[in-house]
Amino acid sequence: MSEDNPSETTTILTSEPSSPACTSESTPMVSSPADSLSKTQSAIQALSSILPSTPDLSLSTASSLLHDPDVASQISSLLRKPDSGAGDNDLCRWLYDTFQSGDSELQLVVLRFFPIIAGLYLSRIALRKHLAGFEAILLALYAHETTSRGGQPVAVNIPDLSHPSLYHETNTPIKNNATELNIAILSPTLEPYGTVRSTKRARIVGVGLELYFSKIFWMPVGSKIDFCEFCVVWAGQDGDACKESGCESSEQLWGGNGGSERVGKEGRIPLPWELLQPVLRILGHCLMGTRKHKELLDAALEACRNLYTRSVNDINPKAILATGSLLRLRKMAMETADDFDPTEIQKPDVLSI
Amino acid sequence: MESGGYEGNMAVREVCANGVRMKTAEVEAKLDEGNIQEAESSLREGLSLNFEEARALLGKLEYQRGNVEGALRVFEGIDLQAAIQRLQPSLPGKLASRKSRSPTESLHAVSQHAASLVLEAIYLKAKSLQKLGRSSEAAHECNSVLDAVESIFYQGIPDVQVESKLQETVSQAVELLPELWKEAGRYHEAISACRRALLSQWNLGNDCCARIQKGFAMLLLYGGVEAGPPSLAVQIDGSYVPKNNLEEAILLLMILMKKFILGKTQWDPSVMEHLTFALSLCCQTPVLAKQLEELMPGVYNRVDRWNSLALCYSGAGQDKAALNLLRKSLHKHERPDDLIALLLAAKICSEDYRLSAEGVVYARRAIDNAKGTDEDIKGVGLRMLGCCLGKQAKVSSSDIERSQLQSEALKSLDEAISLECKNTDLIFDLGLHYAERRNLNAALQYAKKFIDETGGSQVKGWRLLALILSAQQRFSEVEVVTDAALDETAKWEQGPLLRLKAKLKISQSLPMDAVETYRYLLALVQARRKSFGPLITFPQVCHDNASEFDVWHGLANLYSTLSHWKDAEICLGKARELKQYSAEALHIEGVMCEGRGRIQEAFSAYINALLLEPSYVPCKVFIGALLSKIGPKALPVARSLLSDALRIDPTNRMAWYYLGMVHRDDGRMADAADCFQAASMLEESDPIESFNSIL
Repeated sequence: MSEDNPSETTTILTSEPSSPACTSESTPMVSSPADSLSKTQSAIQALSSILPSTPDLSLSTASSLLHDPDVASQISSLLRKPDSGAGDNDLCRWLYDTFQSGDSELQLVVLRFFPIIAGLYLSRIALRKHLAGFEAILLALYAHETTSRGGQPVAVNIPDLSHPSLYHETNTPIKNNATELNIAILSPTLEPYGTVRSTKRARIVGVGLELYFSKIFWMPVGSKIDFCEFCVVWAGQDGDACKESGCESSEQLWGGNGGSERVGKEGRIPLPWELLQPVLRILGHCLMGTRKHKELLDAALEACRNLYTRSVNDINPKAILATGSLLRLRKMAMETADDFDPTEIQKPDVLSI
Repeated sequence: MESGGYEGNMAVREVCANGVRMKTAEVEAKLDEGNIQEAESSLREGLSLNFEEARALLGKLEYQRGNVEGALRVFEGIDLQAAIQRLQPSLPGKLASRKSRSPTESLHAVSQHAASLVLEAIYLKAKSLQKLGRSSEAAHECNSVLDAVESIFYQGIPDVQVESKLQETVSQAVELLPELWKEAGRYHEAISACRRALLSQWNLGNDCCARIQKGFAMLLLYGGVEAGPPSLAVQIDGSYVPKNNLEEAILLLMILMKKFILGKTQWDPSVMEHLTFALSLCCQTPVLAKQLEELMPGVYNRVDRWNSLALCYSGAGQDKAALNLLRKSLHKHERPDDLIALLLAAKICSEDYRLSAEGVVYARRAIDNAKGTDEDIKGVGLRMLGCCLGKQAKVSSSDIERSQLQSEALKSLDEAISLECKNTDLIFDLGLHYAERRNLNAALQYAKKFIDETGGSQVKGWRLLALILSAQQRFSEVEVVTDAALDETAKWEQGPLLRLKAKLKISQSLPMDAVETYRYLLALVQARRKSFGPLITFPQVCHDNASEFDVWHGLANLYSTLSHWKDAEICLGKARELKQYSAEALHIEGVMCEGRGRIQEAFSAYINALLLEPSYVPCKVFIGALLSKIGPKALPVARSLLSDALRIDPTNRMAWYYLGMVHRDDGRMADAADCFQAASMLEESDPIESFNSIL
């Protein structure tokens, strides 16, 4: 049993006197430019003492830190080390502190690595590794989201076309029964948590993913590709593609401890809806929301295929519908390569004025 | 090669204005020499045009030849803003016409023709910039087309009087603007452009409007930028206003579906796929099913439609409807070998005793068809086969058949786990199967493995482990596991664990501790009801939670075993308030009557319970027990009732015990001994709560 995990979880958190929910509440979200600059500078200084080879970060801003490929690859490889998630890990401590600084630009830098953190964390649970460092970061993100939503659930009112709306009219007179709308709960009420209880793990990571999705527009492509690669690991299906690329890649991905047995699909995790739903929303963005980047598209398609196979494996109707429709949309987009452009002017032989 | 193309075109191309025609070749020759002014003057002379008209025409010529840089140079030579200024109605006129409110008066003050010329020039400038990759500048130009239209024709133009050329330019500009902002990576501007396109009166064609709506829906769904609610100015009282991206996207996609159904637009399969994605994310698959049902036959292959509908209904827990659809699609004349349909049908059947035999057929067919590429599917098929067989075994009428089915079930589950050793669902199923067969050591291993693999993230794993340990009579370990599980659970989901703990205390002969635990559980359940109301949790979380009825029922049961009749009665009353007709409550009532010697009343309570729920085993056992005490005449009836109870639940130790008594009273000592032995063996492996309660 994993009794060692929760007890370890508390180590890093007890050093914080207040619960994470309170800390992020007390930090002002909008800080003055000078304040933000000094925060950035101190964060960068702290980081350069952690990274193995120090890149020239003296003049960096948070935004350049976010998009610096060298920093990204150094942090990723540190995170992927087998013992990276421990409570006394410097990098985890840096990520935690940087997120807690409350500077929204710096928070984006931390979020950039969220796919790797969540990916490693969930895949390592079954190995009973030391994960308190990761858990502290996850709890910080969760607490941030809890505060900014005020704990309220996110609901969606499913429209009913028999009522008029912003974009359409109806012939039937307006009846005053707006309460008949179908209300879907996208993300339920958020309770504050001080530790990662194992039955709440998926929810805490899921809320982190929701936060990541809300900032995904600002995320560099590399981060999204990391995310797609972990989807493949989580799905744990050895589809055709996995056989082609060899399973070593997935081994490297989640930093397996080499000696672990090679039977079965490493890294496969339970995918309850509270986790799968935000995953699918992010995947939808990677697959349909970005235009050009071929590498990202390929990674997203691969992730989607694997999650589809996994959904069939779990016989999960909602997931089969969602992943199946993404795959069909991608196929349609690739097939209909006709370049009909409705905004192009006609080219008649006679131009008249 | 390209110039050759020009040659071919140039042979027939002409420009035409004021009733005069002119070959484009001679103008283009001048342009090729880089002499814009001469080209312009030859147009002005040849066609009697003014400067701006000539320039606009030149720009268009260049644009059509594919020389966008040249076109841009020409357009930059025209002061388009000044031209727009000239076209705008003068301010006093504006005021006057507003007062008079006569739509026809000022309308023709502006020549549509002149406006059209200028607007097209700006539009082509935007297109040229777009082709040169300068999306932001292009967007600004395109935006100025729309601004100009709004300021020139601020009162609108009646439909019948719109020049088609002008309308075309306006529609194209409306459609182009969001695309340009998207290309420039400025999604917020793109969103407002889409809203402007859809909420202002541009008199767009159906197809054009549909394209904008679809593009907007995609931007909302996948763009990753939260749009924010539309401005208050456009909100009409009483109409539905979307409040977030998903709502707005779903609304637009539904409108698009409606347009297709009404025959206003072409069928676009991608709209349905986007809607499928959006609605399944919100778990609103019944709404999706309604959309699918509204489509005319012929849009989708009927089998595809049945299968999609089945997924929709099953996704919302309406398994009966889903299974009926799957039966149609899996009919031998339709598509009997569709793997996903077979698996879904098998899964639905595996959850119901009455359907399990049907499920076995589906699962076998899925395994047979899972050859080659779908080897993965084989493991799932085997798992479903095992589950269906296991369910079938429970309703089997003969012992031989039952044990045969059970071992087949285990065989296929074992085979499945050799294919997918990391499948946690499968590990759990195996644990449960072994537990139900009272192979407790094997069950324990799987239960532990399940907790390891899931990292203890599922309450059902903890419960299974605790129940298996309790069946092994290792109560102190049960307590450790239950407490660990409680630690790992947030308080709202602790219900089933607390119920388990109360029952543990009863087994440990600590009734007061049990009462205390129930009391805590009750407070929890009532607090949850008050603070959450009926919804606000994921559907999967709420179904396996202890209900208030469970608590009162458990307490009534506890007090009646302690012979605290008064307390028991109060608790039973509370339980009845929540659920008036319940076999469980009648069962307790019977026990209480029996305890106080009111045998006839006890009888009627037990019989009423059976009338409510004919297969409710405990009451069958109690009636059998009561009858066996009445005298030798009633023994055959008692025996048949008890045998019936054992057919439904062969692990019911009380039934074995009383059956033993019946045999003894009838003088069949060997049979009696067998029954007592079974009862005593079962007692040693009896869990504190039925294994079934986990599901």
